[in-house]
Amino acid sequence: MTSLMIASHGHLASGMQSALQLLTGLGKQVTALDAYVDQGDDRPQIAAFVAQASRPAVIFTDLYGGSVNQDVVRAVGDTPDVFVVSQVNLAVVLAVLLDSEPLDAARLDALIAQSQVRRVTLAATGDGGSTADFFD
Amino acid sequence: MIVQIRVDDRLIHGQVALVWTKELNTPGIVVANDNAAKTKAVQMTLQMATPTGKKLLIRSVQDAIRVFLDPRGKDMRLFVLVNAVQDAATIVAAVPGVQAVNVANVGRFTQDAQDAQALSSTVMLTPPEVKALRQLAASGVPTFSQVLPSNAKQSVQSLLKNAHS
Repeated sequence: MTSLMIASHGHLASGMQSALQLLTGLGKQVTALDAYVDQGDDRPQIAAFVAQASRPAVIFTDLYGGSVNQDVVRAVGDTPDVFVVSQVNLAVVLAVLLDSEPLDAARLDALIAQSQVRRVTLAATGDGGSTADFFD
Repeated sequence: MIVQIRVDDRLIHGQVALVWTKELNTPGIVVANDNAAKTKAVQMTLQMATPTGKKLLIRSVQDAIRVFLDPRGKDMRLFVLVNAVQDAATIVAAVPGVQAVNVANVGRFTQDAQDAQALSSTVMLTPPEVKALRQLAASGVPTFSQVLPSNAKQSVQSLLKNAHS
């Protein structure tokens, strides 16, 4: 199983963990790091995850180039099989959490591609669907 | 073949789309709901909630029963969503071979809730719904409440113990 961490500015990470728990019951499989919510240094927790998490592991950060992302990138360096994904959203964490394929860089890129933010349009597709297509 | 009928106020939503279709390994999802069958905006949102690669059919309860009795569906694993216990009981009475009924999330949006009874933290039923649940309990089809696969199943008998009428 893939090890997962979400690292964010403020309580976004634990908030996402709460949503994951509600949706899947698997919130505890994700390590949440809420950075800068108290005076402490958050870097030891990142280092501990990188050192101890089973592989493959993914660390999601909230903003590309943000300070949390910088701390994570410095801690991970070129550690094999630990991936860093920035600009996290709930959909991509769910996709990785629930995926049953072995995770490598290509698989991770595919899951990211399926999980983009998108403008919602109500295309004129609203009908109940065709029975013939359903049984096809 | 109906693998599970799930009673859920929200029909297809995150828990259902992401977790249960995977758990039950059902390529076909049928929403059996009279309101959804005639409301375009509801159909669009249900289509949006359907996972990639799954087939969705939205029908009234009676039209859905005709689909379930179609011989083409005999070998297709189906996951059925309804939002009322009565609708699940109607389907079970009309369609042989239903494998399970999961009364998962019911009553959160009940308008007239004065005489509704809480049978569990996620199941709150009005008297007609309790009656329909008793019919399901007597039907022989395994009936239980389980919001997520990681939750334990609560049997229909233990739900009905909390009903006072």
